[in-house]
Amino acid sequence: MTESRSDGAAAERDRKAAATAERIAALVGSDTWTAQFGTAKVVVAAGNWVEAHRRVAAELPFFSWLAAVDWARDVAVGEPPEDPETPERYEVMSRLADVTEGEAVILSTSLPKDAPVLATLSQVYGGAEWHEREAAEMFGISFDGHPNLVKLYLPDSFEGHPLRKSFPLLSREVKPWPGSVDVEDMPSTENPEA
Amino acid sequence: MTTDPRMLMHHSDVAVSVELETPDMTLNLGPQHPSTHGVLRLVARVDGERIEEVEPVVGYMHRGYEKLAEVRTYPQITALVNRIDWVSGFANEVAFIVAAERLMGIEAPERAQFIRLILTEMFRISNHLVFMSSYPLELGAATPLMYALRERERVLDLIEGVTGGRFHPNFNRIGGVKPAAGGGSNQKNVVQDLPAGFLSETRDAMEKVLQVCDDMVDLVLGNEIFVVRTKGVGVIPPDRALAHGVSGPNLRASGVDFDLRKVDDYLPYDRFEFDVPLGENGDCFDRYLVRLEEVRQATGIVLQAIDSIPSGSLRAKVPRVIKVPKGECYVRAENPKGEMGYHIVSEGGRGPYRLKIRSASFSNLSVLPWLLEGVLVPDIIAILGSLDFVLGDVDR
Amino acid sequence: MSGLFDNFWVMLVVKLGAVVTVVMVLALVIIYAELKISAHMQSRIGPYYAGGRWGWAQPLADAFKFLQKEDLTPADADRPVFKAAPMVMLAGSFAVLVILPFSPNLIAQDLDLGIFYVLAASSVGTLGVLMAGWASANKYSLMGGLRAAAQLIAYELPLVLAVVGVVIQAGTLSMVGIVEAQAQPVFHIGSVGIQLPYLFQGQVIGFLIFMVAALAELSRTPFDLPIAESELVMGYLTEYSGIRFTMFFLGEYVGIFAMSSIAATLFLGGYHVPGLDADVFGPVVLVAKAMLLVFLIIWFRWTFPRVREDQLQGFAWRWLVPLSLANIAVTAVLKVAL
Repeated sequence: MTESRSDGAAAERDRKAAATAERIAALVGSDTWTAQFGTAKVVVAAGNWVEAHRRVAAELPFFSWLAAVDWARDVAVGEPPEDPETPERYEVMSRLADVTEGEAVILSTSLPKDAPVLATLSQVYGGAEWHEREAAEMFGISFDGHPNLVKLYLPDSFEGHPLRKSFPLLSREVKPWPGSVDVEDMPSTENPEA
Repeated sequence: MTTDPRMLMHHSDVAVSVELETPDMTLNLGPQHPSTHGVLRLVARVDGERIEEVEPVVGYMHRGYEKLAEVRTYPQITALVNRIDWVSGFANEVAFIVAAERLMGIEAPERAQFIRLILTEMFRISNHLVFMSSYPLELGAATPLMYALRERERVLDLIEGVTGGRFHPNFNRIGGVKPAAGGGSNQKNVVQDLPAGFLSETRDAMEKVLQVCDDMVDLVLGNEIFVVRTKGVGVIPPDRALAHGVSGPNLRASGVDFDLRKVDDYLPYDRFEFDVPLGENGDCFDRYLVRLEEVRQATGIVLQAIDSIPSGSLRAKVPRVIKVPKGECYVRAENPKGEMGYHIVSEGGRGPYRLKIRSASFSNLSVLPWLLEGVLVPDIIAILGSLDFVLGDVDR
Repeated sequence: MSGLFDNFWVMLVVKLGAVVTVVMVLALVIIYAELKISAHMQSRIGPYYAGGRWGWAQPLADAFKFLQKEDLTPADADRPVFKAAPMVMLAGSFAVLVILPFSPNLIAQDLDLGIFYVLAASSVGTLGVLMAGWASANKYSLMGGLRAAAQLIAYELPLVLAVVGVVIQAGTLSMVGIVEAQAQPVFHIGSVGIQLPYLFQGQVIGFLIFMVAALAELSRTPFDLPIAESELVMGYLTEYSGIRFTMFFLGEYVGIFAMSSIAATLFLGGYHVPGLDADVFGPVVLVAKAMLLVFLIIWFRWTFPRVREDQLQGFAWRWLVPLSLANIAVTAVLKVAL
């Protein structure tokens, strides 16, 4: 029972996402899109970033978020990507939705690591202003034409870009990743040393 | 010109121009302030009592959740995320857990989903009761606080009876809800289900909550001073709200009919009947009204849910060490404050490669510089309170 | 011995001592009443431990606590002004009490200018507030002080004009004279003279205007924008601690009692109840009537949110002043005609 419901619901979500992704990809003039796990994602070229959003703005007026992912092969925290040949880049994603049927899409673009510059979306979507400030201070991406690109979360004197994979977490320097902490037994009367 | 020395003081040869030059004053509200819902700092340039320009300074509570998530396993992150928006603790976990479950291809059993839904709606009631009581307090009326919090205690007691925690239940597990009573070898197989008397106490509590909603309508919404302070104040037009990502009751108060509970299927809301209250003007009064109505609808959902809870297991079978396969998934949930979502970028490890947390209050607050231009200083308090944000949600 | 009582200076000291003692006790009683009434309105209990089960010693305990606190003055504050401000405000409140008629003979000083003196003396408090706001060297306090000054000045007018109606009807400015005028029978049913306080002799609007303006003069909710706890922390009181804060605090409650007793005297008949001997029961009657109005004032505080500054000013200038002028006109016409 549970299996078939989950398959049915998941397949339905994927089908809807695929329909959305295909439509939006055609709208922005891109030919790369994915729709897995109910999430529609369209890849856009960096030069086409603002124009793609302008075209989508009429249909998907709700600006949900903008974030970046640092794809790096050597990481100072956590685990590296599965594929050791992952192309190293910053991936900037923005999610837009509509408010009638709940359709949504993630527009994604990649920036080279040595020159992470992207045009700002704050003329198209006003809400992008704060999200871009956060991405800028966390990853070191600079947004051309942004009205007020100062630090949002971090103190003014902070140096470095915390969410980059090369930025170490101080606590992990002192004590390395503890391993399978979450599968230890709780201490009980029989085994207080657990 | 008189030569009387007493009159001479009142005459002068200098003409005073009609336009008086009054310099602006920079007023700094916060970060420690009774009404900013946390450590929010507003640097405002005021001219008398009118604001020329305001710049919010956030980040006093930035705890680095997204970086932290990269060095934690999925169960550990579950314990952390209910602290993002601490007033609606359980609701924060739901979207994250559902995203992880979708990536793994697991679905929680029905009983677990119903319990998640009941707890989410109870936290919605709790959150909105806090709002309904603290907002008039900021405007000067001290009594609704006591009435609403009295009933909120009942709801929190119910939540504590089920989960063991009032604010940070940490009750979700990947695959369902927490099944066992605790650790230790003699406790691991004891299934801790809903406590005895839960159903009748819930019905009782929901009745009292409906009563306090009626009290609020009399005490607050019927009060002329409250109406005059909030009607027409802080109007957010729908297109600006959408461009900034304002969601939840704030968006619905502006007249946009969009509720993620009706649109997405992260929890079985389609089994229940409830209305989505909408406002007309998008001012502070409408935001209060929408939240009050949402409490009423939430009590209806809880009553329907406890009447139709299916039996079954509380947690699906999951492997001992949870590894989520490679993929990306974004799941959004209708948190009491708005849309809360988690975008998990997984590379097949025990923890996510990147976790992007979309918090409702961050987007709700981003409309503040536009909203506060040209308003009077007391209106700042009225507008800030009506947006119902929490700094933990803004700063993550 | 009787010569001692005729000595002006001795009597002055006795009178001052009596007024101060009585009023301080009453202020403590009012503070306790506020704590308990507000608690029961909010489904709480209120003071519970200090002084047995009823917590009656709570205000006393608070007073002693404040007295032993450290005396802080902000570094940038204007010291002499900062220290003088609470005394000025307290002086304004106390000055009003001199002419409160507790009974025809129990009055500190029955001035011919009674009510006029009251209105003049109570505006001295405004100065104290402005001094406090300015001298605290704190932007919040300054804003609170300026708001307070604007509010107090705006509501002086309706306060004064509301009283004029009563004065026209009584024909005298003296407080005892006004009470005696209300003791004159208005009409006769058979051989029984019916005496009515001015509230029922047509001064309803005057009473309402007076109460609203008194609330604003006392900076009580809904007009407590100067203190606006949730906006300006404590407004002009932010930087005050210890004894100075106590002086402001007491001044506020003394003012509440003073305004309520003046309203009781002007509109509710003061110490006079038909059939009771005024000399014996007068003080009790006056205090009872004043406490009724104090209860109303406390009730308003915990029910209403606060009004915004521009709404406050608009209400005073556009509604209360014209209404009170109309009240005076109607009263004068009726006084001459009837």
